[in-house]
Amino acid sequence: MPPIIDKEKCNACGVCADICPTDVFRSARRKETPEIKYPEECWHCNACVLDCKQTAITLRIPLPAMMLHVEANDKMAG
Amino acid sequence: MIDIDKKPIEVEVLIAGGGISGLMAAISAADQGAGVVVAEKANTKRSGSGATGNDHFTCYIPEVHGDDVNVAIKELFNSLLGAYQDVSLARTFFLQSFDRVKDWHQWGIDMKPHGSWEFTGHAYPGRPRIFLKYAGSNQKQVLTDSARKRGVRIENHLPLTEILTKDGEVVGAVGISIKDERPVMKIFRTKCVVLTTGTTNRLYPAPSPGWMFNTAFCPSNTGGGRAMAFRAGAKLINMEIPNTHAGPKYLARCGKATWIGVYKDPSGKPVGPFVTKPTRELGDITADVWNSVFPDYHKSGKGPVYIDCTETSREDLDYMIWGLEHEGNTAMLSYMASEGIDLRKHRIEFMKYEPFLIGSRGIEIDQKAETNIKGLYSAGDEVGNFRADIAGAATFGWIAGKSASERAKRIAGFHKAEESPLVQDRAKFYSEILQRESGPSWKEANLTLQQIMNDYAGITVRSETLLKAGLKYLRDLKRKALTTLFAENSHSLMRCLETLDLMDCGETIFLTALERKETRGLHVRSDFPFTNPLLQEKFLTVQQEQGNVRLEWRDKR
Repeated sequence: MPPIIDKEKCNACGVCADICPTDVFRSARRKETPEIKYPEECWHCNACVLDCKQTAITLRIPLPAMMLHVEANDKMAG
Repeated sequence: MIDIDKKPIEVEVLIAGGGISGLMAAISAADQGAGVVVAEKANTKRSGSGATGNDHFTCYIPEVHGDDVNVAIKELFNSLLGAYQDVSLARTFFLQSFDRVKDWHQWGIDMKPHGSWEFTGHAYPGRPRIFLKYAGSNQKQVLTDSARKRGVRIENHLPLTEILTKDGEVVGAVGISIKDERPVMKIFRTKCVVLTTGTTNRLYPAPSPGWMFNTAFCPSNTGGGRAMAFRAGAKLINMEIPNTHAGPKYLARCGKATWIGVYKDPSGKPVGPFVTKPTRELGDITADVWNSVFPDYHKSGKGPVYIDCTETSREDLDYMIWGLEHEGNTAMLSYMASEGIDLRKHRIEFMKYEPFLIGSRGIEIDQKAETNIKGLYSAGDEVGNFRADIAGAATFGWIAGKSASERAKRIAGFHKAEESPLVQDRAKFYSEILQRESGPSWKEANLTLQQIMNDYAGITVRSETLLKAGLKYLRDLKRKALTTLFAENSHSLMRCLETLDLMDCGETIFLTALERKETRGLHVRSDFPFTNPLLQEKFLTVQQEQGNVRLEWRDKR
C-alpha cells in the first residue's frame, strides 16, 4: 500500500504524519513509527518521501494507477 | 457531546485553508498590520494542490509582452483557463501579477531559474505566451516561512467547517481540531473570513474505480469554501459549467503542459493541429484545449492516444524532467524509473480525467475579492468568476488579505460569536455523528454521491428529466447521510463533513444545470442542444436566502 516506512531507518520524528496532505498516517504515541492508517487515501504526492530526513519512506504506486505505455517504434502496439 | 474548546480564538482576519491563496492572503493582511490566523486542514508546508510544487505561473510582464495588458487577457481567455470569467477581474489580476512574481522571487521561489523571464508551455504556435516557467518545488515551505516571519499564526490540522454571521456580516467561524484521535470543536471570533479552500475533488468518480484519492488535484480539497459560503448566503457562480483535466492514464497527475511531446494515435500520426516536432517553447497544447481528444478517439475506436517524447531533443527532455520535478511530480518520475519506462523509447497513454470544480465555477467575488456577505472574502481555485490557477491564487489571495485587513481596521470590537445559535446546532450535529455506534461510513456516502453526479449531472448528457431525477436522489442521499453517518474518530468526522460539503456543491450544480437551458462547453443538454447567443454575455448565480434558493442571471463584468 502507498507509503512504506522502513522501521530500521525511521527515527519516529513524526514529520510524515504531520505534513501528509491527506492524513494517511496516524501516530498512536509520540516517539513511535507512525502507522499507515488510511493507505487508500494516499494522493501519491510524495511529500512524505521528500520530507523524511532519514530517507526511511518509499512510495508504492498501486496497481490500478499503473502507467500504461507502449514501445514507440511498435506501430501496432496501440 | 463533542469536546468544545470553551475559549474562543479572537482574530481580526481568519483564513480558511493555507494553500497558495490562503498563505498569500495571510502575508498581505499581516503586512497591513492585521492579526491573522490560518486554519489549515493538513499542514501548510505541504497542503493543497500546490503541495509539492508547480512550474507555470500565468502573468503579464510589460517588458516581455508590451504595454497593452489586453494582449495577455486575450491569451488567457483562449487558454485552458477559459472564458468563464469577468474580464474586469482578469485585468486586475494581470496588472498585479508581475508584482507577485517579484515577491516570490525575492522570498526564495525561483521565478527566473534560467536567468530571464522564460515563457514556455501552454502555448500556441505564433501567439504571445503568458505562462511563466518557474521552479516551484519549495513554494509551500517558502510561503509558510514568509507568513510566520510576519507573525501569522498557523493552526495546522484545524479545518474550518462553518462561518458565523450576524445581520449579514461575518462575526466568527467554527472549526474542528483533528490533531488527535478525539476531535475538538474550536470557535473563532473574527471580523473577516477569507475562504481559500481550493478546488473541489471527489465529486465525480476518479479514473480508477473505488480509488477516490487518485485525483490530479488535491483530494483533500472537497469544496469546503464553496459549501460554507453557500450556507452563509454567499453567491456561487458558473457552477453548472463542468471542467475536466487530462494527464497520464490512470495515474492522475497535473502537468500536461510540462510534457514536451506530441499527442499521437497508434499509427504515430499527430492528433492535434498544433505541432509535429515538440520544443520546450510549444509542447503540444492539444490536451489543454481539446482534452476530449482522448475519449473522442477512444469512442471512435481510433485510440488510444499517447504522448510521444521520442523525437524531443535531449536538452528539451532534460528540461521537461526538470519541470516535472519542480511541478511536484517526483512520485511519477520515481515510478517510471523503477518500472523502466523510458521517454526516449516509450509512448505514454493519456486520458481525460473526471469533472471537478476549479476557478470559474465557485464563489462570486468583486474587485476586492469580497463576496456579497460583508466580511467574507475568497480567492484562488474556489472563485467562480475568475480563473488563473496558481497565479490567480497568489494575486487574488494577496488582494483578499489586503481588503480583509482594511475592513478589520474599520471595525472596533468582536462579537460574541460563540453565542450564535449555529454553534450549538453544529455541536449537537457533530456529536450525533460521533455517538452513533454503527451506520454508513463517509466512504459509502461519498461513493453514492459520485455515482449520482456521474449519471445525472455528468458530462455526456444532461436533460431536465435526468437532472430532476438526480436532484431528488441527491436530496434523498443527503437526508439519509445527515441522520445516519457514523464516524469513530476525528479523521472520519472530517471526511464525513467533507462529504456533506460535496453534497451541497453537488446540489448547486443540479440547480444551476437545470436553469441553464442550453448547451455550452461541457454542459450538454440533450433537450436544448444549441448554444444560445442571448446567454453569451451572461453568467448564472445561485444563493440561499432564508432557506430558499435564488437563481439569477447577470451580465458579465
